[in-house]
Amino acid sequence: MAPAPFALVARSGNALRLAAVDAAAQRQGLTVGMALADARARCPALVSQPQDPAAAPRALQALAARMQRFTPMVALDPPDGLMLDITGCAHLCGTEAELAAQAMVEAGYTARHAFADHAAAARALVRYGSAEQDVRALPVMAVELPTDALSGLRRAGLVTLGDLARRPMAGLAARFGEDMVGRLRAILGEAGSPIAPRNAPAPIRAEARFAEPIARTEDVLAAIEGLLHDAARQMEARQIGGRRFAVMLGRCDGMRLRLGVETGLPLRAPAPVMRLLQERIDSLADPLDPGFGFDRIALAVPRTEPLAARQIALTGDAHAHTDTSCVAALIDRLTTRLGAGNVLRLHPRDTHIPEASQHFAPASQGPPTVWPASSLLRPTFLLDPPQPITALAGVPDGPPQRFRWQGQLHEVTRAEGPERIAPEWWHDPVGHHSPGGLTRDYYRVEDAGGQRFWVFRHGLFDERADPKWYLHGLFV
Amino acid sequence: MLTAPADIHSPCSHPSGSLVIPKLSRGQLHEIHLSAAALATAMAFAFTASGTPAGASMPILLVRAPRLAGIRAMPFGEGLAGLGIDPARLLLVEARDNLGLLRAVLDGARCSGLAAVVAETWGPILEYDLTASRRLVLAAEASRVPVIVLRGCGVTGKRAEPRASAAHTRWAIRPAPSTALEARAPGPPALEAELLRQRGGPSGMRWRLVWNDEYGCFQEDRASGVAIPLQQPALSGAVVPLSPLRAGPAASLAA
Repeated sequence: MAPAPFALVARSGNALRLAAVDAAAQRQGLTVGMALADARARCPALVSQPQDPAAAPRALQALAARMQRFTPMVALDPPDGLMLDITGCAHLCGTEAELAAQAMVEAGYTARHAFADHAAAARALVRYGSAEQDVRALPVMAVELPTDALSGLRRAGLVTLGDLARRPMAGLAARFGEDMVGRLRAILGEAGSPIAPRNAPAPIRAEARFAEPIARTEDVLAAIEGLLHDAARQMEARQIGGRRFAVMLGRCDGMRLRLGVETGLPLRAPAPVMRLLQERIDSLADPLDPGFGFDRIALAVPRTEPLAARQIALTGDAHAHTDTSCVAALIDRLTTRLGAGNVLRLHPRDTHIPEASQHFAPASQGPPTVWPASSLLRPTFLLDPPQPITALAGVPDGPPQRFRWQGQLHEVTRAEGPERIAPEWWHDPVGHHSPGGLTRDYYRVEDAGGQRFWVFRHGLFDERADPKWYLHGLFV
Repeated sequence: MLTAPADIHSPCSHPSGSLVIPKLSRGQLHEIHLSAAALATAMAFAFTASGTPAGASMPILLVRAPRLAGIRAMPFGEGLAGLGIDPARLLLVEARDNLGLLRAVLDGARCSGLAAVVAETWGPILEYDLTASRRLVLAAEASRVPVIVLRGCGVTGKRAEPRASAAHTRWAIRPAPSTALEARAPGPPALEAELLRQRGGPSGMRWRLVWNDEYGCFQEDRASGVAIPLQQPALSGAVVPLSPLRAGPAASLAA
């Protein structure tokens, strides 16, 4: 069975329009720009998904990084192309055609390619012609004018670029504008069309080699600190800070030991990174064994983020900044020592079930989220899991009069409730027609000693013959 | 640099004869003794009695060792929001054992950007001795962060015995019955705070505190008249600094 035609839709104006179609949809006659309603009328089996506008540029950047395997000069050719300058690189893969074939395979997408002496000509050939064509035989669409200008050209009888080239340029410039003439000359090769290759930024690295292997811990730490100063200079020149630091210690017998630390905020200064490395060394299961000594120590900063130089404030406003950086440094230190899963922040979840309405996430992963305001009375501590209790209560929805928890009897003197919390019926395919789960009736009770509890009855008396009671939270 | 402790109320007598409850002052170490079911009450007291208005958005560090806890409970964000504390401020650190817990508390005490450091401990801790508490006091004085150590009963029911420590104040917090609203609903939360020990001040007093929603803190319940000052008002004329009273035997500590 053939796969269903697939299209991406985007909202333009008031209508949903097709932004991209696949081959099966194209065969059915759907085109880009058609309204989704018309497309569904033509092709009822169409499967559509919303378009993610940021995904295509990201994928193109990733593809450009992969194409660097063939040539160092790779430029983006928006919206959906790449320009590779393979001057002097073709011999590595045999011939130019073989290089192109390997690049197609590497890309993995359905792609077309074309060769030319100039970038503009290559772009025109691949989009508007075929690989072997002569440039002058390309249609005038290759100059990429707006549609009314193109129809003007067609009315004038100019169909191919060769026709345009025979006309005097001054007249064309007067009628259609300077950049049309500029593009035409670039395609014909009379003007240059340079490309701006993307340069991956050089990684931040520092290395030290020793003529005599060093084995003492103080010497190793002093060497690492020197490398951190070096890396800090490189990072300051580029106004970036490091989020992950990796140290590689090479022993003279060839074995390599690695240490890594991560920080929550980008850092340049060597002192905090040295403290974190000290924590990491202290928390290693086995101590670092230098063997006969280290003869090579290398530092790399794999992950960086922009970090502007900080203005040293002369007034007391600097305290706010030092406080936040102090908290960030504390989080880094505790994360390095105890692990990211043990330094946590609370994040809210959009559900009314109490135990699911929050989750803990590592503090190093990001700043805290804003909690929505709520006017419900909730306990300060939640027991996880709810503890079973035996309770005596009035039927059908009276609060418990006394209950026993962990062998201790509590006489309830004050009670408030019930607050009914029903299960999330919308997760069930049958919806509200099916029971889904048991409804809970929550009561806020206070016993004779003044302790305040949050207890619930698991299930209404209609749902269950003998509902059980649980203690779920402790109030202030 | 050691500075004179701030926020201490001199032992002058209040006109009514009872003494004003001291706050959990900044830059000091405070201990709170509690039982397992009083966890929420003591935690709310620790969070709100040390507040400074300027620190209303700074993070609160809560250090726990969940494996050693007397009760398996976790902080609930909506409940904290009901107390007026933004749950996004809470920074939760879970240590594996008491030594890791104390080290994390010491690190937190050195960080000046925190509103408070609260440690939740259960049972007697060997590592928390005079030296450890003295180190905490020095760190807290340097960074002006209040450090509050909650000492609850352990899993086996062993109470955390009050040991010699450099803490500024030592409290015992117990929940108290609240004044009922209509239809027997529980009223605003109430607790009984007993000041077991105060460095450089009187101790032994008990206060009944009631939660005040407007101010977001516990306040003395003047109407009930339960406050029992254990010493006489000062003699006329001279203001004599009273020597600190040691707490009586632990009979007053509810299990």
